[in-house]
Amino acid sequence: MFVLLKKLQQIRADAATGAPPRRTSLALRHVDAGSCNGCEHELQNVSSPYYDLARFGLSLVASPRHADVLLITGPVTTRMVEPLKRAYEAMPEPRLVAALGNCALGCNVLGQSSELVGSVERVLPVDIRIPGCPPAPAAIAAAIFGAAAPSSDA
Amino acid sequence: MSVGTFTADAPELRTVAVAGWRDAVSETLASGRRFTSLHALAETGDATVRALFDGDQPLLLSCRSVHATVPSIIDIVPAATWDEREAHDLYGVRFEGHTPLRPLVRHSPTLDDWVVPVHGHNPYDVAVGPIHAGVIESGHFRFHLVGERILHLDLRLFYKHRGLEKAAEGVNDREAIHFVGRACAADHVAHTLAYAQAIESARGLWPSAGLSDTRTFLVELERVWNHLNDVAAMCAGIGFAAGNMAFAALKERAQRLNDDLAGHRFLFDTVAVGESPFHLDRSDRDRARAILRELRADTAMLWRELLFNSSFQARLGDVGVVDKSVAVQLGMVGPAARASGHAVDAREASPRLSYGAFQGAHPRERTGDVRARLEMRALELDDSFTILDDLAARDLSGGPAHAHGSSSAIGASTVESARGASTCIVELAGENVQRLRLRTSSYANWPAVPTALVGNLLPDFPLINKSFELCYACVDR
Repeated sequence: MFVLLKKLQQIRADAATGAPPRRTSLALRHVDAGSCNGCEHELQNVSSPYYDLARFGLSLVASPRHADVLLITGPVTTRMVEPLKRAYEAMPEPRLVAALGNCALGCNVLGQSSELVGSVERVLPVDIRIPGCPPAPAAIAAAIFGAAAPSSDA
Repeated sequence: MSVGTFTADAPELRTVAVAGWRDAVSETLASGRRFTSLHALAETGDATVRALFDGDQPLLLSCRSVHATVPSIIDIVPAATWDEREAHDLYGVRFEGHTPLRPLVRHSPTLDDWVVPVHGHNPYDVAVGPIHAGVIESGHFRFHLVGERILHLDLRLFYKHRGLEKAAEGVNDREAIHFVGRACAADHVAHTLAYAQAIESARGLWPSAGLSDTRTFLVELERVWNHLNDVAAMCAGIGFAAGNMAFAALKERAQRLNDDLAGHRFLFDTVAVGESPFHLDRSDRDRARAILRELRADTAMLWRELLFNSSFQARLGDVGVVDKSVAVQLGMVGPAARASGHAVDAREASPRLSYGAFQGAHPRERTGDVRARLEMRALELDDSFTILDDLAARDLSGGPAHAHGSSSAIGASTVESARGASTCIVELAGENVQRLRLRTSSYANWPAVPTALVGNLLPDFPLINKSFELCYACVDR
């Protein structure tokens, strides 16, 4: 256990992720609307010791009822469109929607049109766009920090 | 380790009449072949059903349905249960004797259509998903419980069905690999490799030693980051944050190496038909070798920490047990199958890759529980590091595939992904794909998850689930 903790301490010192532009706090809720699992892996990595965004007030929460931001991955499938809308409706206002990854943005989507509703934009108003296939953890972090900073400070 | 010599490995197509379908399947199994996959073809009139069985030259049994009906084989091959349900949902084939034929891909709003009826003293249901509490893929679980104990789990996946196989139809055989690659990020290399090898088997192409070495390097690199991820996920399933974070950090280092070598953290687009878009020069190989050696040493050190942590270890034994007989019957694959003592590793029969006389690892005790499945990850990591270290000393500059045999309209190939054997079958019309079937390791193992849960506590579900760490995306496609 001692070795584990010492190792983690060392990683944290080595990683030295830059601090966000200002102190803030945002609760993020993820919905997989049909991704290839790549965006999920990178979103999980955002919580790993090399990034550990909880340090800066960004947390992934268990329910849309607790969330400020809905992070959506994948080209929205016909089977996920209803659960996605319900998750959005469950959120308190003010709320933001982030389209995470190229599929969610409707770029280079592969599949049958009869099985897909299309980009997140066709279902919900999108506030934050995070391109990439998949976007790297650092890019996800930067996009969310950008959204967290009020526009007057930007 | 070396690449094997040319073998004509495009499947032999054998057509049988509906009346002889079951006998043909029984005889094939009796000859020692194992079931690999079943798929249907959309044709005008009655659909055709095809079942693939393994072997140096695989056998593809084919049967034209009569009035869109074929006798079911699930009593002979329980592993074909999901395949038949899928063929029914997507191609309208009826399977006589498969009752009830529950929907799999198509979602019925009526609970009775897909849920197993449960009766008894105070059983109740817990419905979870498709959206889960963590960063997890979408899928629905319906637990039937008595108190905290799990009686049964009904799975409903396919929320992420994108119609990738259908969308690939009519696409040029060099381009259709992108549809396979999009199925899932975690097993991207294994799946695209199975596709490329399937096309090459149909075209009578055989890889040069350089191509084979380069591809083997890639698929082992993919196994490393996946297994590190799985150990982290199992620590999370127990609520052991220090272990979770330590292995998540190792996974991050492995993915950074991927990015360094291939320009992509998941090694996307590193495999192509007949050639290798990925190649390493001498300095890349030396750097990779040094980084992998450091990663290996740190993995071994942190693994020992897990072994010495008694409260962590206390959660592993006799949890989520799959007996060997069940593993064999369900046609399980990969580390989960070997944890139960079902000795299957596609790397032992992959002459197109550089595994030579490789033998798959087995846990000290083949108990089929979470402990055995976790130990499999550590054993396979060690094997992968050895293979990678060996390959990094060789020429990894890619190379061509050469024409050796005659061309055929059907190709198939199986590759051992991080989760076990994934098979790709391609049926070609000229230069284009006519039918694509990707039967992944996750597809093979999902039916085992409910059997592993019976009698366990609901709070152990995350741990048991993570010990399989199956993907939803490549099942749903």
